[in-house]
Amino acid sequence: MDIIFSVIREDTFWKILLFFHFLMAVSLLAAVTLQAAAVLTSTRQAVGNFIDRFSPVPAASYAAVIVLLYVPQALLGSWMYLKYRLYVRIPMEELRHWWTLGAFEFKEHIIAMGIGLLPAYWYLWRQPLSAEDVGLRRWLTVFLAVTVWYAFGAGHVANDFRGIGS
Amino acid sequence: MTQTLDVDGRLSQLDSSQAMGVPTSATRTRTFAFTFGIAFTLLYTVYERLNWPLFTYQPAVGRLYFWLHRPLSGEGPPMYWYGWIVLAAAIALMVAWIATMISGQWLRRATVFCCILAALWPASLAALRIFITDWATFDADFLNSVWVAAIPAWVGAAAITYYIPSRLAERVWTSWLLIVPIGGLVVLGYSLLQYFVR
Repeated sequence: MDIIFSVIREDTFWKILLFFHFLMAVSLLAAVTLQAAAVLTSTRQAVGNFIDRFSPVPAASYAAVIVLLYVPQALLGSWMYLKYRLYVRIPMEELRHWWTLGAFEFKEHIIAMGIGLLPAYWYLWRQPLSAEDVGLRRWLTVFLAVTVWYAFGAGHVANDFRGIGS
Repeated sequence: MTQTLDVDGRLSQLDSSQAMGVPTSATRTRTFAFTFGIAFTLLYTVYERLNWPLFTYQPAVGRLYFWLHRPLSGEGPPMYWYGWIVLAAAIALMVAWIATMISGQWLRRATVFCCILAALWPASLAALRIFITDWATFDADFLNSVWVAAIPAWVGAAAITYYIPSRLAERVWTSWLLIVPIGGLVVLGYSLLQYFVR
């Protein structure tokens, strides 16, 4: 870390990381939203790739992207959470921004739940898709989309309090 | 057409192996992934509520302590979140691994038992506290204990698990994958209410 901080200032480094966190969040948001829309709008789900030809979006192809984005995004967020705890949350408490604080606390929980469900989510989207798990696959996908949307919103509000451009 | 035949082949393979009681690698992976999801989300909620982190990190001084550590003066705010996640993940991995080795019927019954116990334990503690403050005509403070609350919770969970038909336990098993995280978020969200009503 000292080598990095000898090249750029510490606060600039964390701002760059926060910007990457934002970029990954937008990509993840796009992927989960498209997949959730696909599973919710499809009138019927068939086994295997058959559905992909008729679906507006090839829903199954998003699963790997979502897992590959969700895990590093959660890890990056966990790393930056250290700085949040010291330099964002304390002033938030001092300035009595309780709603923002509570919303961010809930973000920690909802992301933890999302991480816990990722192995099952990955299994449910493995090819060939199993016909018996259609409902579970649909609602687990929607649940993951909700976690990402919530995390994005709460993170954005926290950033507005103290982050890039605030 | 080829894919349909592939799926049929896979399903018939599954059917025949399940009929013989031999778990295939596909069913083992399914059991592992689903059990991990149910166990992790349940344990995370429990550990957060009981505040049982595997470790505590003090970011201001960069120190890591095993289990729960109350900050000393000058150490700054403690972080428990990592500790809850790591502990829940470690235990859930073990539970999921064990789940792949036991029979499906036992697994489904055990899942029902654990989920009902997780709901009944805090409920019976809350009921005991209401009894102590509103109803008791004697000094009932000894009842205000998680271990006393455990007795009706364990008995209740065992009774419900015993009377739930096997077919129902089997049918709802995958539903726990949604019920537990949503229920957990309701509990955790309720615990954060203090921030929203100030």
